[in-house]
Amino acid sequence: MSGVVDVGVKQPRKLTVLERLYIPEIVKGMGVTIRHLLRNIARIRNLPTILYPERRRDYSDRFRGKHILTTRADGTLKCVACYMCAEACPAECITIVAGEHPKIAYEKYPVVFDIDMLRCVFCGFCVDACPKDALWMTGNYEMAFFNREEAVFGIDKLIAKQGLPVKDGLGYRPYYPGDGTRPPGDASSSPVIPGDGEREILREKGLDLHHTEGPGPLNAASLAADRRGR
Amino acid sequence: MSSVESVALTPVAEKLRERIARSPLASRIAVVDLDLPTLEVSPADWPAVARFLRDDPECRFDLFLDLAGVDNAKRHGRPSRFEAVFHLLSLSRDEHLRVKVVLPDGASPSLPTVSEVWPAANWFEREAFDLFGFDFPGHPNLRRLLCHDAFVGNPLRKDYSPGQRWFFTEEDLRMPDWAHTEERAGHFETQTISIGPSHPATHGIIHLIARLDGEKIARAETQIGYMHRCFEKMAETHTWNQAIPFCDRLNYVSAMINGVGYVRTVEKMLGIEIPERGQLVRTILSEFSRIMDHCVNIGTNLVDIGALTNFWYLYQPREGIYGLLEACCGARLTVSYVRVGGLAIDVPEDFVPRCRALLESIPKFLDDVDRLITRNRIVRNRFAGTGVVTRDQAIAWGFTGPPLRASGVAYDVRRSRPYDFYDRFDWDVPVATDGDNYARYLVRMEEMRQSLKIIRQALEIFPAAGPVSSDDWHVVLPPKDAVYHDMESLIFHFKLIMEGIRVPVGERYDWIEGANGELGFYAISDGGRGPYRLKHRPPCFPMMAAYEKIIVGGPISDAIATLGTLNIIAGELER
Repeated sequence: MSGVVDVGVKQPRKLTVLERLYIPEIVKGMGVTIRHLLRNIARIRNLPTILYPERRRDYSDRFRGKHILTTRADGTLKCVACYMCAEACPAECITIVAGEHPKIAYEKYPVVFDIDMLRCVFCGFCVDACPKDALWMTGNYEMAFFNREEAVFGIDKLIAKQGLPVKDGLGYRPYYPGDGTRPPGDASSSPVIPGDGEREILREKGLDLHHTEGPGPLNAASLAADRRGR
Repeated sequence: MSSVESVALTPVAEKLRERIARSPLASRIAVVDLDLPTLEVSPADWPAVARFLRDDPECRFDLFLDLAGVDNAKRHGRPSRFEAVFHLLSLSRDEHLRVKVVLPDGASPSLPTVSEVWPAANWFEREAFDLFGFDFPGHPNLRRLLCHDAFVGNPLRKDYSPGQRWFFTEEDLRMPDWAHTEERAGHFETQTISIGPSHPATHGIIHLIARLDGEKIARAETQIGYMHRCFEKMAETHTWNQAIPFCDRLNYVSAMINGVGYVRTVEKMLGIEIPERGQLVRTILSEFSRIMDHCVNIGTNLVDIGALTNFWYLYQPREGIYGLLEACCGARLTVSYVRVGGLAIDVPEDFVPRCRALLESIPKFLDDVDRLITRNRIVRNRFAGTGVVTRDQAIAWGFTGPPLRASGVAYDVRRSRPYDFYDRFDWDVPVATDGDNYARYLVRMEEMRQSLKIIRQALEIFPAAGPVSSDDWHVVLPPKDAVYHDMESLIFHFKLIMEGIRVPVGERYDWIEGANGELGFYAISDGGRGPYRLKHRPPCFPMMAAYEKIIVGGPISDAIATLGTLNIIAGELER
């Protein structure tokens, strides 16, 4: 704790004759600006302003840019369509339609996973909400669209391309290399994975406990209506 | 309404009851003990009670802080549907008070105006008229404020469905009545001009209508609301945590402070404490945000009066601070870094060295600006003696923050009610007495240096490691490692995301020192998944209300300088 300081007293109201004469003050002021000029010439390659887009600013590896849907080792989406990111989203910009995955170990997957980039506020709540490590953000902040339809990014635009580097590097994500946390186990590496078509066999034997009637994916229209009604 | 004598009270409220007993209306005022001492009065008694509260030498609630309407339609346990909740401050005793005016059911909600008791109430009452449809008989200019003139309905009433659209065309624009009449000053004609809504000097979208007598402004009125998005209604339809990104967009120049103010309110309601390290990160980044806010304010203000160079010098520290914020949370402007119960993520490893580097570089830029501006004759002529707000005016108009301190009142929340670690640090509250633009400039310059001082001390006691968030998993998301591998953590995670934080039923007004003044949040919880009502007290709102009175008598060029030093941020002004 300390006191109160009166800044008005520290600055006498009356200017001195020298200060009122303009010329000495102009010389003093030019001194400051010329010092900046010379310093900037000396560090011409390292100025605070940058020549975008030829040069880019270095952002940290926590940058909250365009989203990315991570994949398992076999290239399928890690997302299990649990709707938690859509629920956590304050801008309500995520639309998911869930489907039944042919592999029983994967159970569910998103048939549709859309993020409306015009609604998104890039707060990262979806990344925090994901229990499956399936949704990350990247350093990509250049998303220009010609129309609104283009701004709705589907799985094709969001999925991590196998073997290809992520554009502008990875951004905000649940854990970072070396912070001691473990990624979730990959279902594809688990020893008991019934393969493709296994579900069909179980179904024929009447052993599949999951609901099998009707179309797997939820009706997108009724889902949208439900979200609007909230 | 319970009688004055019946309820057992805490010492603060007991003291208040003793003071109230001196009022002739004492028998009709109920004293309730909530987070703040609270009075309940009926609309008919309200003006007399207001006068008593302001004038009584032992009460002296001289500063009007906030008016929040509340619609109790979906809430139980309140005597009537509508309430007007006032928050007052006694500067001499650093004491807050809440007054609830309970509006009886049946007739349309109405209560007498108190804009003559506290001139600051003027715009707050217009806002309540606009958003709740409260009538204020006797109000000098009861018109819509935040919503436009073609708007139908009162958006913050519980029966108003969000998502309705009302289109506004040029024909709907209502100019003040005096703008249409012809006035003569002697044999000269005066003329009415519009400055804005889209004018580079209005920093945001503000419509100033001024009647000019030659060069001098004879009369003025400001119209706002171009950036109104009804943040408070949005908060009601989302969970407690989901409101954090909306808070970033209030005062977007110092987004971190808004988030801290909001989550502190919710944490108080939940009764949780966050670890020391988390508190210190919040303090350090809030003080950096304050520096950034003042840099932007002074920089752009000087551009408005023609001194461009300083803008570049002041934007360089801001760039460095943005870099630090981005390294912590991944965004520069809309940080969304805080969460109820802590922070989204721990700070990066190089946090302390980065802060220290900033502490090294920022004073150099401040010194440069000091050298160019503080004793500059042109700036002196433009700033000194213009936009003068006297001490009494500043209090009557509800000023807080640097503009109030520049008028000679040393009120700073960090000093009067130290939160986090502010009582452990050694720092001064800068004040000035002249109340003009120059005084406000000086106060802000000194405040930046004091903030640096606070950060330096905070870094000294900053623990190298430790948690930044509470470990109460009913409030804070469990660590991801546990969520992936532990069933119980996953359940906590799921419950928190799908149901949100359960905040106990009750209400709370909590306040911190924003970059612009007292930043208050009044939150009501009905136990649901989100706020039942969230009222934000924007520090620049009362200043904008007073602006049209401050500039009268001066030329437009002074009005532009004054608009800058009052630091109007449209995002928080219009919410």
